[in-house]
Amino acid sequence: MIEWIQRRRGLIAGIVAAILFAVWASSQYEPRVLASILLSGLTLGALYFLVTSGLSLIFGLMDVLNFAHGTLFMIGAYIGFTLYANPRLLLNTLPFVLAFVAGWLLARWLPFSSLPAGHRRPLWVVAVLVGVFAVWGFELAPLATTALSSGGRVPTEQAQAPVGIFIARTLGLAITGLIAGAAFVIGSEHARRPANRDLAWPLGLLALALIIAPLRLSAEGWILALDSNTRFLLALVAGAGGGAALGGLMEWSLIRPLYSRPIYQVLVTLGLVFVGTELVKGIWGPGGYFMELPAWFSRRGPSCPSPNLIAWLQDNCASIDVLGRPFPSYRIFIIALGIAMFIGIAVLLRYTRLGMIIRAGVQDGEMVQALGINVRRVFTLVFALGAGLAALGGVAAAPFLGISPGLGQEFQLQAFIAVVIGGMGSFTGAAMGALLVGLARAFGDQMVLTGIQLPWMSEAMTFSPSIARASTVLIMALVLLLRPAGLFGKKE
Amino acid sequence: MSDVLLEVDAIHTFIGQFHILEGVSLKVRAGSITALLGRNGAGKTTTLRSIMGLNPPRSGSIRLAGEPINGRPAYEIAQLGVGYVPEHRAIFRDLTVEENLRLAERKRGDLAKRSDFIMALFPDLKRFYRHPGGKLSGGQQQMLAIARALVADNRLLLIDEPSEGLAPIIVEQIVAALRQMAAETTILLVEQNFAMAAQLADEYYILDDGRSVQHGRMADLVHDHATIDKYLGAG
Repeated sequence: MIEWIQRRRGLIAGIVAAILFAVWASSQYEPRVLASILLSGLTLGALYFLVTSGLSLIFGLMDVLNFAHGTLFMIGAYIGFTLYANPRLLLNTLPFVLAFVAGWLLARWLPFSSLPAGHRRPLWVVAVLVGVFAVWGFELAPLATTALSSGGRVPTEQAQAPVGIFIARTLGLAITGLIAGAAFVIGSEHARRPANRDLAWPLGLLALALIIAPLRLSAEGWILALDSNTRFLLALVAGAGGGAALGGLMEWSLIRPLYSRPIYQVLVTLGLVFVGTELVKGIWGPGGYFMELPAWFSRRGPSCPSPNLIAWLQDNCASIDVLGRPFPSYRIFIIALGIAMFIGIAVLLRYTRLGMIIRAGVQDGEMVQALGINVRRVFTLVFALGAGLAALGGVAAAPFLGISPGLGQEFQLQAFIAVVIGGMGSFTGAAMGALLVGLARAFGDQMVLTGIQLPWMSEAMTFSPSIARASTVLIMALVLLLRPAGLFGKKE
Repeated sequence: MSDVLLEVDAIHTFIGQFHILEGVSLKVRAGSITALLGRNGAGKTTTLRSIMGLNPPRSGSIRLAGEPINGRPAYEIAQLGVGYVPEHRAIFRDLTVEENLRLAERKRGDLAKRSDFIMALFPDLKRFYRHPGGKLSGGQQQMLAIARALVADNRLLLIDEPSEGLAPIIVEQIVAALRQMAAETTILLVEQNFAMAAQLADEYYILDDGRSVQHGRMADLVHDHATIDKYLGAG
């Protein structure tokens, strides 16, 4: 018994602390206030979790501290918002991306790999020149501009490039991709292994690009004519997918060459924060956007707020009654999304072969390699997965917090704190850390609002707003004093 | 039986800036057990890691059944049929015994096919099939590490110090298992425990200061006390 207590003293201390805190909190606040603080904390915790889960997986598996994770969160918000409110930008750039990838894949199919290695550098130069020529004078910023109208943001009347020129640009990028792909293939391992020479992919992508090109104008109308709920779901998918693609590309192009130089990796991800932020400012402008709530979460009327969750399914009120206090229904959605992702990742880690490889790789990546598993490919996949989760969080946060180029930074910092609290590399730790940080923020905000009154005080003690933010750092310091590896971290 | 399965020719391997292997050459014949002997720090583990592609040699060549494999990534070398049982076992502590074995599958059904053979060699693994690897005893962990290399169809097994830190009775079990395995595969064995190596190996190579200095039939080495004292004696 005593031994059992000694072994679990961390757990027991945690439970005792939680009970003490619960007793204090319930004496301090009325139940309905407490309930809404807890729900606010869960909302923030769910958003933090979407960032910390990827951060922690990436660190655990590849020892990369990804400072750009918050930037991916922010870019996800922009991509989702763009699809939701003004798909023009996406429709006008997607064919370019598809054509480039198609050309790149086609290069593998053609017999470029036998070219002499000396052709490599000149080919890169040609690829860059052709690429610059193909997109010369193509402006993104006007495509991204929207105007405020009664129904929210709508695309401004902005002439798009005529179909002929647009298709010429698309083909130009396909050729760029082909040349760049050829330069990449020369002397590479593909020369030795003629794998995946499937023509269906490159030709299919190219065809898709050419089909979208003339349909850009009408497709924009179709998307905007969809009801807001469908557009919102599409925005979640597009944001997560776009973020995952960016994350995978980032790992493959910038992180992978630097696995033997970890300090450079940190610097590269840090640099990407600035590059990403400035790019977003360049395309969408430095100001912020407000994303409207979809119809599911925005109904107002005499029957609102919905008396409970079941009633909300029918009346779609903007808020739900929680113990006599209205609570925004969209935040409940964020909580549900966080829980769904937690379960999804847990199932992936626990029951799939990929999950098994990830868990094994966190412990000993070298041994996983020695069993015949291409760990590098798993790295790219996990990086994409983590980036996709962060971007999904960004889209989910957009209607709740608004969209601005600085959106990711606050999340980056708090997510790092959450990961450290939970223990680097532990998935459960990432979830618990996110939850703790979310709750701490929510209680901190409430304390700033109402102050604290302990039994012996004649009047409430008040705090400055920075305390809410500092509270998470205090928790981190406390946890690190007691458990240097974090709550769920392995001893180092 | 005299086909050469693995041929290592004058490899030089660096770890960081340290020149660890300064010309190691050896041949492993198909169907044999070859022991790699030498003092601590002679370069035995690095030789295995070089073959496996984990510390690729900077020069020299490594051929598996005539095909050059140096410079290839470790996972490709493994896929060519090389199994690796590293020093300190390196089992995945948070994964169950079953998951440890399943991870080593290269084709679906590998484990199902070899399961009976593996469980007959190491009955303990069956008992702890669903326990995390970290909960096993040292000997059981060693058995799991060896079993993991048997799941896929491997032509060559690189086994690093299987007796390290184990009780004599466990060592005996492992010797018996290795002897049974040798009937089906080829083994390159690094072993500090000379008595164990002498029991098992057909041939030996001795490494000293990163060079292969002597080789021959194990049966001859056992009586060659001068060589044993010179290269293998404690100190």
